[in-house]
Amino acid sequence: MRNTFATYHPIIEFGFFCVVIGIGMFMIHPVFLAIGASAAFIFAILTGGRGSLKFTLCFLLPMIILITVINPLVNHQGATILFHMRYSYVTAEAAIYGLLMGMMLAAIMLWFSSYNKVMTSDKFTYLFGRIMPSISLIFTMVMRFIPNYKIQIKRIADAQKAAGGGREAETLKEKIHSGIKIISIMFTWALENSIDSADSMRSRGYGLKNRSRFSIYRFDRRDGMAALFLAVMTIIVLAGCISGACHAEYFPEIAFAKATALQTASYIAFACICYFPVFIEVKEVLVWKHLESKI
Amino acid sequence: METFRIKNLTFTYPEKSRPALCDVNLDINIGEMVVLCGQSGSGKTTLLRNMKPLIAPHGKLEGLIEFYGTDVNELSQEVQASRIGYVLQNPDAQIVTDKVWHELAFGLESLGMDTKTIRLRVAEMASFFGIQGWFHKDVNELSGGQKQLLNLASVMAMQPDVLILDEPTSQLDPIAAGDFLTTVGKINRELGTTVIITEHRLEDVLPMADRAVVMDGGRIIADDTPANVGAILAKKKHPMFMAMPSPLQAYAILFNEGMGKELECPVDVRTGRNWLTKLMAGRTPSVTELKADEESLPKDPETGKTPEPSIEMKDVWFRYSRNDSDVIKDLSLSVYPGEIFCIVGGNGTGKTTAMSLAAGLRKAYRGRVKVKGRTAMLPQNPQILFTEDTVREELKDGMGTMATSDFLDVERLMDSHPYDLSGGEQQRVALAKILQTEPDILLLDEPTKGLDNELKQKLAGILDELKKEGVTILMVSHDVEFCGRYGDRCAMFFDGKIITTNAPRTFFSGNSFYTTAVNRMSRHIFGNAVNVDDLVELIRANE
Repeated sequence: MRNTFATYHPIIEFGFFCVVIGIGMFMIHPVFLAIGASAAFIFAILTGGRGSLKFTLCFLLPMIILITVINPLVNHQGATILFHMRYSYVTAEAAIYGLLMGMMLAAIMLWFSSYNKVMTSDKFTYLFGRIMPSISLIFTMVMRFIPNYKIQIKRIADAQKAAGGGREAETLKEKIHSGIKIISIMFTWALENSIDSADSMRSRGYGLKNRSRFSIYRFDRRDGMAALFLAVMTIIVLAGCISGACHAEYFPEIAFAKATALQTASYIAFACICYFPVFIEVKEVLVWKHLESKI
Repeated sequence: METFRIKNLTFTYPEKSRPALCDVNLDINIGEMVVLCGQSGSGKTTLLRNMKPLIAPHGKLEGLIEFYGTDVNELSQEVQASRIGYVLQNPDAQIVTDKVWHELAFGLESLGMDTKTIRLRVAEMASFFGIQGWFHKDVNELSGGQKQLLNLASVMAMQPDVLILDEPTSQLDPIAAGDFLTTVGKINRELGTTVIITEHRLEDVLPMADRAVVMDGGRIIADDTPANVGAILAKKKHPMFMAMPSPLQAYAILFNEGMGKELECPVDVRTGRNWLTKLMAGRTPSVTELKADEESLPKDPETGKTPEPSIEMKDVWFRYSRNDSDVIKDLSLSVYPGEIFCIVGGNGTGKTTAMSLAAGLRKAYRGRVKVKGRTAMLPQNPQILFTEDTVREELKDGMGTMATSDFLDVERLMDSHPYDLSGGEQQRVALAKILQTEPDILLLDEPTKGLDNELKQKLAGILDELKKEGVTILMVSHDVEFCGRYGDRCAMFFDGKIITTNAPRTFFSGNSFYTTAVNRMSRHIFGNAVNVDDLVELIRANE
């Protein structure tokens, strides 16, 4: 699926996810969670489409309900008792806290699902290659070999099966035996191939001093603006969180900090951060609508 | 000055008494395209690798290799990496990174170039090779042909003076191989890069080459223009001429019988056609066709009846998952015991899938697949069958049976590690291994891939032997020359089904594009010559 946010510089993308997931994890606050979860949901739909919707409905919603139900069963803090059970009781605070926890988990999982779509492996290696150049090449190679090995294992399994007349292993013992066989073949094959890989690397000068790093990413003006915007918004949110303007308490009774200008500013700033990818996507769509209408 | 100047080069591998290269003298001029040919084990790879000490094998080296007047062993690693480009055989194993763009930049990164320079070089290479379309892709999404092109491009990005290619197309199908070799030709012509290449597929590469060098047993036995080399081999009656393109083979055979001695040696279909025209000039051929072989099904020697088919498919449909499109569409096919049935056709038409249906690896969702007897399949890459440390261990279940019979010629390999064997030997051991299960039906996927002509003949002998034992052989291949010569029936696969099935002679003389080189070069005079023997027989008949 087309995804405008993914065209930004990796550092912006990585920073964005750090902020939304970080703040989302520590701020158990209804307004923050509502903003975070809704934005995460919309963005997940934008990046993942139907699959994300299915994931939310079939897995995340039941998970939220489950946590809402289980939390008050094990957590008996809270002043407002909803009802008594035989040896126990359920409090409204614990139920609400459970609901919020569920939403937080759901939001984080949704952010991660978008993270996987946006932050492809090459972006990750690009970012961390600066800190650890040699590790980053190994990481790149691993990213190359894992899918390669998967295909090869399938090939080996097929070949083994077809060589023996298409018979499947039936008993557990047979299955284990054939599994070990496949892995041992895989191992030999991988070693054999790595000789070629090493030759190919050496032949192209790997191991020379002063290796440089190339990437196709460029930090342009648009990235600069986005970085500035997100940084300012993050500072406002952090100010709100640290100063206690957005404080929330659940036990024994639910209590929120008094409404202040800083609190409102934090809410708005957090919304600006979370909805940033959605906003640019919508903007892109509108720009194209406008351009196309002119043709 | 020459790009390479090799003087009295002798190379011996450790613990071997016989040298792998023996007194080799070779000059490679700037901008030349040289084809190095020779049977497996003739020392081609050893020679090529010694030209780039970074990847040279260990062993004792005598003599001298000069690169632009400097001993290669005195070149710095940097110079070797950037100025001597080397492309290896295996497209997959050579790729190091996960993205196409990163792979293109890999060598330039090693040389420590800055981002701006790399950006330009990579852009240039991507444009030259037509890679723009898949520049951002993961390398795993590429086809084998694309992978090898990527390897070539990432070597060329370093702007080498010479490009060394060691059997670069042996893992590719003919179409991809043709594209690859065309690109190599383009590099040579348009960039002036010196090219040294070893190849089995001489039909594609010889016509482009300035010179052909033939090696045998570590020595150079011929070094001349491709046409002259053909003539030299013909005079010497050297077995290598069987590996030459078919027009050259036909020339060589007739040359030794005193026919066409005054004519120039043909190297490809075009020159072969002209040669034949000249040879037959002024004569109206009385015999233009060989007896057409009717589609003969194998007969039971006692009853004289055609036996029950061992593989029978009727109206078979298959796809990999519900939402995919059909790969096999309405396929019907019967294969009988004691025949070699060849399926030819383009890439991605479903040939290999059809075979895996017969092997029981996949299940058809509609139609009937009836397989009578035990099947065994030889995969394209025989290595993936090996589990043991020695060939003896691999074959211990089948001692004394068909698996260790003489015709497989595996006896002398018994104590080697399967991975240390050459491609042809590995294939024979793999074949022996699957024959241990005493299969009734043998399924072969591209059995001639990466084999040179001598090994192909050997394989044909083995298949013939198995056929006599009553084994059903179904093979899928791109190698029309092989199928035309050794198959009993050939079938054209297209769009998920078999379009036509016939005996090879009728089959290939009916096709105009998908047919053997001999048929293409002789069809204007002879009706149904498919292989070199046919052509020679027809020419003799008109003598």
